[in-house]
Amino acid sequence: MNTSPITKWDGATAYFTFADNPTVVLGLLALSAVIVVGSIIFGAFHEKECYVKVENGKH
Amino acid sequence: MEQQIADLTAKLAALEASTKMSGTINSEVFYWWCIALMIVIHAGFLAYEMGASRAKNVLASGIKNILAFAFIVPTFFFFGWWIYLAFPAGLTVADAAADGLPWAQKMGPNLADNATGIFWGAFALFAATTASIMSGAVIERIRMTGFIILAIFLGSVVWILGASWGWHPTGWLTTEFGFHDVGAAGCVHLIAGAFALGVLINLGPRIGKFNADGTANEIGGHNMPMTVIGLMLIIVGFFGFLGGCIIYVNGGQWTNIYGQPTTLSAFAFNTLMGFCGGLIGAWVKTRDPFWMMSGGLVGIISAAAGLDVWYPPFAFAIGFFGAFMAPIVAKMVEKAGIDDAVAAVAVHGWGGLWGVVACGLFAAGYPNINDMPPVSLTGQLVGAGVFLALGFGSGFILSLVLKMFGLLRVPPNSEILGLDKTKVPLAAYPEGLRAMPAE
Repeated sequence: MNTSPITKWDGATAYFTFADNPTVVLGLLALSAVIVVGSIIFGAFHEKECYVKVENGKH
Repeated sequence: MEQQIADLTAKLAALEASTKMSGTINSEVFYWWCIALMIVIHAGFLAYEMGASRAKNVLASGIKNILAFAFIVPTFFFFGWWIYLAFPAGLTVADAAADGLPWAQKMGPNLADNATGIFWGAFALFAATTASIMSGAVIERIRMTGFIILAIFLGSVVWILGASWGWHPTGWLTTEFGFHDVGAAGCVHLIAGAFALGVLINLGPRIGKFNADGTANEIGGHNMPMTVIGLMLIIVGFFGFLGGCIIYVNGGQWTNIYGQPTTLSAFAFNTLMGFCGGLIGAWVKTRDPFWMMSGGLVGIISAAAGLDVWYPPFAFAIGFFGAFMAPIVAKMVEKAGIDDAVAAVAVHGWGGLWGVVACGLFAAGYPNINDMPPVSLTGQLVGAGVFLALGFGSGFILSLVLKMFGLLRVPPNSEILGLDKTKVPLAAYPEGLRAMPAE
């Protein structure tokens, strides 16, 4: 996959992957935000499950 | 002759460009190592919290602390840096904020910008420090989910909003009131301490902390040496933290964050003197190693606002007083029925408040730049009041909302069993912790 926004280093400024493609940049940003939020939600479910086990005497 | 002049001119231009680039790279290198040292703060808080936890909660406390770091860095990328650039005027958005949007060209590898990433990194570590301050206070009974939400809110929203107002070259507290807080005593420590207080009120004390008659029991941590070493690591990291508070000017004198000239030497004098004043102040008051090391921290925080201007023995005395008073403040917090497991409210809240106010009491009259008001007691009191309200109000309201949704506190049976057994797939000490026989 060609992700480079530049073809030479002379005069290059922002050169991070997909710097020339705002749609993909926003997509990757959204993906990372989903990972953050999703991980918190996942953690909440795991935590709740653990507490329920303790309440039910399964620990 | 003309050719020689042309050659010399070209050489001079190349030399100037080279010198300028060396300065730019020196600046990046300086802040790079400040970031590394600030990670030591986090290592210190990790050891501190785990040592202050009972053996049944030690890993859960460690996980909580590490996750604060893990969630703050990306969220500080998403919106924290933008908040800093957006709100120096109050609540209106500044044009410069566009550079802090997470999709901006400056928010990633960019050969035309050697500054944004390194400053973003340093500020992200300041953010992680604020969350760690709150983290220790709430150990052994807070839900992980609620804690992560609180940590993100404190680290990537609340403190950085305060920093934009009072720890920014054009923050309104400085432009309107001459507010002076070079070492972030207010926007980091006071805000984090006040936020923690707001959370602790809604969270409630650990089971067994208070008796029916309101008297308090001591709940000792399982490893005091680990806690004391953790505190010393925090002190080491503070040299990165305070280094990150000074601005490297390429080809010129250092400035503080407000643009006033200063030196790293000034910071060295007063950080060390404040630290030692704090160690001694807490030792005189308590003779307790936990409080001695916490007192050293209070000493640095107490001297932080005026770190660039204090006569070093004065920083020593200010640190001494701040640390001498901190255990008294901690006792007052406990008497109010609040269980602050590591005295974060006293160490950071009181230390930050005292540091900011001391700067107004004893450093009034120091001039500002660009016709902004000089340092004054009024300006410092306004700044302290704003930070106190911002930290406490936001911590109290958000934790109240989390409490209403059942996301703040673990159930009593899990708290009694211990959080490690409840939800951590490892044992901290699989061979057990056994008391030594009496003889």
